[in-house]
Amino acid sequence: MPAPILRAALVVFALLAGCNDAPRSAPSRAPGAAGPGKVLRVTFQAAETGFDPVQVSDYYSGSVIEAIFDPLLTYDYLARPAKLVPNVTESMPEISDQGRTYLLKIRKGIYFSADPAFKGNRRELTAADYAYSIKRFLDPRHRSPYAFLFEGKIVGLDELAARSKQTGRFDYDARVPGLETPDRYTLRIRLNGTDFNFSHVLAFPLAGAVAREAIEAYGDDTGSHPVGTGPYFVKSYTRSSKIVLEANPGYRGRVWDFQPGADPHEQEIASRMNGKKLPLIGRVEISIMEEAQSRWLAFQREQTDIEYQLAEVAPAFMTGDGKLKPELAKRGIKLDRSVDPEIIYLYFNMRERIGNQPNPVSGFSVERIALRRAIAMAYSVDDHIRIVRKGQAIRAHYPIPPGVAGHDPRYRSGIPHDPRLANALLDRFGYRRGQDGFRAQPDGKPLVIRYSSTPTERDRQFDELMKRSLDSIGIRLEIHKDRFAELIKLENDCRLMMRTSSWIADYPDGDNFMQLLYGPNSGQSNNACYQSPEYDRRYEASRLLPDGPERDRLYREMARLMEVHTVWILADSRYRNVLLQPRVVGYKRHPVLHVEWLYIDLDTGVGK
Amino acid sequence: MLAYVVRRIGQFVPTLLGVVLLVFVLFNWIGGDPAYLLAGKMPNPEQIENIRRQLGVDQPYYVQLWIFIQQAATGDFGVSWATNEKVSEIFATRLGPSLTVLVPMLIISTLLALAAAMLVAYLRGSLTDRAIMIGCTVGQAISILVYIIVFQYIFAYQLGWFPVQGWGYGFAENLLSYSALPIIVGVIVSLAPDIRLYRSFFLDEINQEYVRTARAKGLTEARVLWVHVLRNAAIPIVTNVMFQLPGLLAGAFLIERFFSIPGIGREVILAVERSDFPVIKAVTIYVAVATLILNLLADLLYKAVDPRVQLK
Repeated sequence: MPAPILRAALVVFALLAGCNDAPRSAPSRAPGAAGPGKVLRVTFQAAETGFDPVQVSDYYSGSVIEAIFDPLLTYDYLARPAKLVPNVTESMPEISDQGRTYLLKIRKGIYFSADPAFKGNRRELTAADYAYSIKRFLDPRHRSPYAFLFEGKIVGLDELAARSKQTGRFDYDARVPGLETPDRYTLRIRLNGTDFNFSHVLAFPLAGAVAREAIEAYGDDTGSHPVGTGPYFVKSYTRSSKIVLEANPGYRGRVWDFQPGADPHEQEIASRMNGKKLPLIGRVEISIMEEAQSRWLAFQREQTDIEYQLAEVAPAFMTGDGKLKPELAKRGIKLDRSVDPEIIYLYFNMRERIGNQPNPVSGFSVERIALRRAIAMAYSVDDHIRIVRKGQAIRAHYPIPPGVAGHDPRYRSGIPHDPRLANALLDRFGYRRGQDGFRAQPDGKPLVIRYSSTPTERDRQFDELMKRSLDSIGIRLEIHKDRFAELIKLENDCRLMMRTSSWIADYPDGDNFMQLLYGPNSGQSNNACYQSPEYDRRYEASRLLPDGPERDRLYREMARLMEVHTVWILADSRYRNVLLQPRVVGYKRHPVLHVEWLYIDLDTGVGK
Repeated sequence: MLAYVVRRIGQFVPTLLGVVLLVFVLFNWIGGDPAYLLAGKMPNPEQIENIRRQLGVDQPYYVQLWIFIQQAATGDFGVSWATNEKVSEIFATRLGPSLTVLVPMLIISTLLALAAAMLVAYLRGSLTDRAIMIGCTVGQAISILVYIIVFQYIFAYQLGWFPVQGWGYGFAENLLSYSALPIIVGVIVSLAPDIRLYRSFFLDEINQEYVRTARAKGLTEARVLWVHVLRNAAIPIVTNVMFQLPGLLAGAFLIERFFSIPGIGREVILAVERSDFPVIKAVTIYVAVATLILNLLADLLYKAVDPRVQLK
């Protein structure tokens, strides 16, 4: 080979060699307190975006953040529905002043994981860290997707944010009357109004404490330098590819002491795990694998221990009745099947006009209610689950899904699937069929329903189902296709006539779902732009009540009102099928916590 | 020669300006408003406005275009809108894995295609020629997705010869272990069209008079083919190879997704899904610049391969 070519080849080779994804240097520390040989290998189906709690909104980043940071409160691992328990506090918050004041005592002796930002000193967690972390959500510089959890709630915090918009600088040292730290370990939060659900916000995984020194040290790169007090720290991080967490050797330690219910599976978990010091897993290796086939094959080759999302290949490991296939069960593989705390629903826009055009599905006149009701009766939720979800979902009857406080398992929708009755209803209220077989509005104007969706394969299936449903009652359908971002933009302007939407619990309380129809939330989470004084009055009353029978009664009335007005067609809640290798011990899917790594173990005696 | 090079480099500027304008128009026309993707579950108008201001998409179009031109000129595209990671760092860290797979893939597939094409051109009309051409036609008709799924299933899952997917920390481990199956898939996919193309180049030459003369002079068949025919067919071959090189910067997103290779192809798709304009801008400009430079190099190589070529 001529010398110049040889040299060029060597240069290319050296360049390639230099492009390795070497592990990022992590602070030197002793091996994890948990078993260093216990390595849990899991996958994410989409890339993370970063690990600064105020800057992310995706599930995967949230999962890692949950393992690194400590919110004030957390959830009991086994209790269902999810039950709040202290995390870094000595007890549950003292709630006084009609649910306006929350007093929290933080336990002494909890430390952040070692980091160069602390210049070699141990850094203890204090109440001021939580005050600082909460303020960060409203700092406009962070454009936090979860700012809404704190906006308008804490006395003086919105005023501070407003001042920062004028001055261009968020003053973290300014006094906020609603965020006081009377001593090093006490945090007093004062709210603008009664809110008995605020404890759930304090348990939100992204509301963990950050250290101000670390945030300031890493400047604009806080997303790749998370420093928390939680059970794990980031050992190495290759963006969009691999995240390695190691047990935090300075972790305060917790003991597995959860009370099982009557479920034999829970009792078996408790018998194996009770009394063990947490965390038990020394290292968590997370690989980003977008393709279901790759995840499924890797799991079968025992290259991963837990698979969270394999809905696309569910028939490969599940029988028609939702059981694990016998050949996999024989290998000791386990299936944890639960329903996600979410609802999928189709909404009707209730605004009288969409842009300059009149909206034929809006309003509260009996004709319009009859039209929406007929569409709801024509839409087959069973087909929706069977065809689009491939059976991996349950029908949603109530706006609050199972596993969330306020869910009513006895509630049944009063709107049956009955196209014949739907046709009769339309005939009765003057929606006459023309010569082409399609109906017109009672005043004779053409009737066209505009349904919006994204150009994806899944949405194409929804389109076809909607077309078939509306054809069965003689209503002309127009499909409007656009990109997701554009649909959200139009939705926020109340300019979509009809669309399928979803909501997954931010916290396991019915309020998080019932606010979806609250009038003032139009253009935000109330994508139907539903404005009903009757509904709003009940919702406002429910906000003043803690979880209990009186609030449940209000929720039932609100759900029935929604059905009477037929603002939504409630569709389904999806199953989450988690596959576990035989060596994974103590796993039970939690409805709110993103990941259960802190509470499980690996039986190293079972072959990898 | 120098005047030619200077003139060609001077032509880069209007070409790049055209690319900038095209990308800018396309993104603003069909790209979607990123503020609505970044605002989370409960956006309010004030929050949307704040995000738009921070991203600079509230500026008049001419200001945004001028910023883009400055970025293209300096090569500094700022940070990703979705992750806040510096765009330069995204390329620095993702290019290595892509090249680890794509460079060996290109070299191996080019060499194998040349050898196979020479063979079938030499045996034109024979059973071997027909069998290989039928194989190439069938091979081209099958989607790369099928190759990936079938090869991953058989060779990685069933036989266990390769890892199903993954990426390590060392170059040797990545090249020899994790990249091996992706390279094989990539080579097989590109062999069929390359063999057909190179065969036609060789056939154009193999019946020329100079070949008959060489044979009449008593040269061995191997020398005739590998020296005389190959050299004369080199110009279209060089063109084809150079044409493929800029693609290395864009990665191979399907291969990278299925084999979990943290390359630039995956990043580009993520950027499109997230309306992450800084990354989209950067990859477009980098590929455009690489294409211009490699086209120039190809022209210079023509001259080296065939002295009769005049650079004007």
